[in-house]
Amino acid sequence: MAERVFITGMGMITAIGDNVAENLDQLRQQRSGLGYTSYIDTIYKEVLPVAEVKHPNDALSALAGITPREGYTRTTLLGLTAMREALQQAGITDVQTAPTGFINASTVGGMCDTEKVYFDIVDPAKSGTFLQYIDTLDCADCTQRIADTVGFSEHIATISTACSSSANALMFGARMIKQGFLPRMVCGGTEALTRFTLNGFNSLKNVDKQFCRPFDQQRTGLNLGEGAAYLVLESESFARANNSRILAEFTGYCNANEAFHPTSPSPDGDGAYEAMKAALAMSGRTLEEVDYINVHGTATLNNDVSEGKALERLFGNNVPLFSSTKPFTGHTLAAAGAIEAIYAVLAIQQGLIFPNLNFKEKMEELNIAPVTELMEGVSVNNVISNSFGFGGNNASLVISKYEG
Amino acid sequence: MAAISPQATFEGDIFSAPLVHTDSNLLTCMEPDYKPFIPANSLRRMTRLLKMGLTTALQSIRDSGVEAIGPIVTGTGKGSLQDTEKFIREIEQYKETALNPTPFIQSTYNSVNGLIALQVKGTAYNNTFVHRGFSFENALLDSMMLLAEGAPNTLTGALEEMTAEHFYIKSRIGFWKSAPTDSRRLYDQLSPGSIGGEGATFFVLTGTPTPDSKAAVTGFKMLYKPTAAKVAAGLTEFKDGIDLVLTGRNGDSRYEHFYQQADALFPGVPQLSFKHLCGEHDTAGAFGMWLAAQILHTQRVPAQWFPMVKELPAVVNRVLLYNHFYGEQHTAIVLERV
Repeated sequence: MAERVFITGMGMITAIGDNVAENLDQLRQQRSGLGYTSYIDTIYKEVLPVAEVKHPNDALSALAGITPREGYTRTTLLGLTAMREALQQAGITDVQTAPTGFINASTVGGMCDTEKVYFDIVDPAKSGTFLQYIDTLDCADCTQRIADTVGFSEHIATISTACSSSANALMFGARMIKQGFLPRMVCGGTEALTRFTLNGFNSLKNVDKQFCRPFDQQRTGLNLGEGAAYLVLESESFARANNSRILAEFTGYCNANEAFHPTSPSPDGDGAYEAMKAALAMSGRTLEEVDYINVHGTATLNNDVSEGKALERLFGNNVPLFSSTKPFTGHTLAAAGAIEAIYAVLAIQQGLIFPNLNFKEKMEELNIAPVTELMEGVSVNNVISNSFGFGGNNASLVISKYEG
Repeated sequence: MAAISPQATFEGDIFSAPLVHTDSNLLTCMEPDYKPFIPANSLRRMTRLLKMGLTTALQSIRDSGVEAIGPIVTGTGKGSLQDTEKFIREIEQYKETALNPTPFIQSTYNSVNGLIALQVKGTAYNNTFVHRGFSFENALLDSMMLLAEGAPNTLTGALEEMTAEHFYIKSRIGFWKSAPTDSRRLYDQLSPGSIGGEGATFFVLTGTPTPDSKAAVTGFKMLYKPTAAKVAAGLTEFKDGIDLVLTGRNGDSRYEHFYQQADALFPGVPQLSFKHLCGEHDTAGAFGMWLAAQILHTQRVPAQWFPMVKELPAVVNRVLLYNHFYGEQHTAIVLERV
């Protein structure tokens, strides 16, 4: 029988905190990380809100435990910061002590830094230290720099499936464990804000000029965010032999494509419905046993209708408590799945349901509304975490309380 | 399976098609007529990589005889460079206003996967790996895992394009040879760098053989920044019964020693190299696998493609494909005749 997969370490950095504890504290205090950019050169500086990590790159280098150096993009530094914490929390001082794989996710790699020097790079008349950023554009660059800095030498991979990227990284890692390739995997994603993505989403007319309002009738779009998060996954036999501290169990997952439209979800949420249904079936949990759903909840017109319909189709009149944490962190694209997977573990560990900030008015298309106040002392045993992306990519994860 | 490459691999007979060569250090794809595959109105909006990827995927499905496609898994090191460059340029040019979102949408690394899914109504698993010389190989590993988990089949492929701008960018950090090199003499002219290339290659994979099966993948290994000893140990695991070694040799003197080590491990075993056909790129390994499967299936080698090889192997039952991308991502795949 395939091994169970346990979560034994977590590390993160987002606009609401440099580590898991700070994130938890800000979630508890219901304090949003949304604001305006200090680091992107854009005409939308004071127009489009973003959830930016509140440190310049030099300070991030310190957090990441390295001296500032050329070629280490913000994407790498965010990732390395989260990676250090995840390993430390899992009690891993040296990743070489047991075969450990690394599955990373990113949507635009080192674009945050390459976009600043791109026109110098393509200009034969110019040369300088910027040339060290040439190869940082692709998504493998941050993976390899993080891997090399902390010493991963077993399997490494980078996944890019838009906003479901790190959910797919977690899934891929769990499957490699179940199939016996490696006993331990570190999976997640890293994403830095860029002028490229900000203009990309803005050109699609789905960025809100106000702080985003997921599942609200008046929502008009998303706010982008940046951050990184990694989770350490271990096989049951390894975790037991290693005497690992088990934080939660990763019981189910599904990746399904909607095959509906390049950038829009289907109105009835077919992909979301399939992903949640199959992930739950795999977890062996019933509909009634789901205590909380951390929805994708981007606050775009289309996503929230589609995801909401999928919730109503799957759960009928008994849709579990749900909320989007995007008003805290912004939409962190490739990192979102891993950040929200950590929030799922925190919900279970702390007995919390996080509020869906900025919600006021129920959507006319739906009968359901998200949780708007912080709930404490709730028994949370099973959480579904959704991540849906461009290209019809839908991913749902089920994270469960560890019970022997 | 199907391949769009700098050679005439997509249409016609690969045994009579002449060897396409270059002396400009860049092999670009011989593109087919896309009209039989993609409706004209979509064709207009799509850039090269999307057209090449989608068309190769559709052709490989036709070739496979498989009716319903299950999971779709791809690898691409760079995604749609043309769209990425276009969007960066437009942001600059139009000062971040009135931008057309199409190049942004198409620049996402999974856009070809999404397109394929749309076209074939593929609602199963869908994933895209983007890790340089491990992009295709991770897609292959994922596919083999999916088959082991019970998927009926997978559509597995790789896609890479080279643009003039990106070719120049990579020239600034030593990816290509500085002197113009005749691709037919790639392996005789050891010097730093290689010649660039591109391609789209797709396979339909099944867990059990079908009447249309071309070859079987029976061994697989990926090594990240390995020492020479680790490469040797890895290749030695696959030593038994190999009757053809296919290498990703590319004339780059800086990393040639890895291939020379492979030569030493397989004395007397016939050897072919494929980068003079497709050029160096992140997912060239997929082209290598296509070529290995062709040879195993037809029991013939397109002789005109290998004028530098005096004796071509007569019977081929087991091929070892060994490739690495600039010395960092090393991959070995064993393919067998079915």
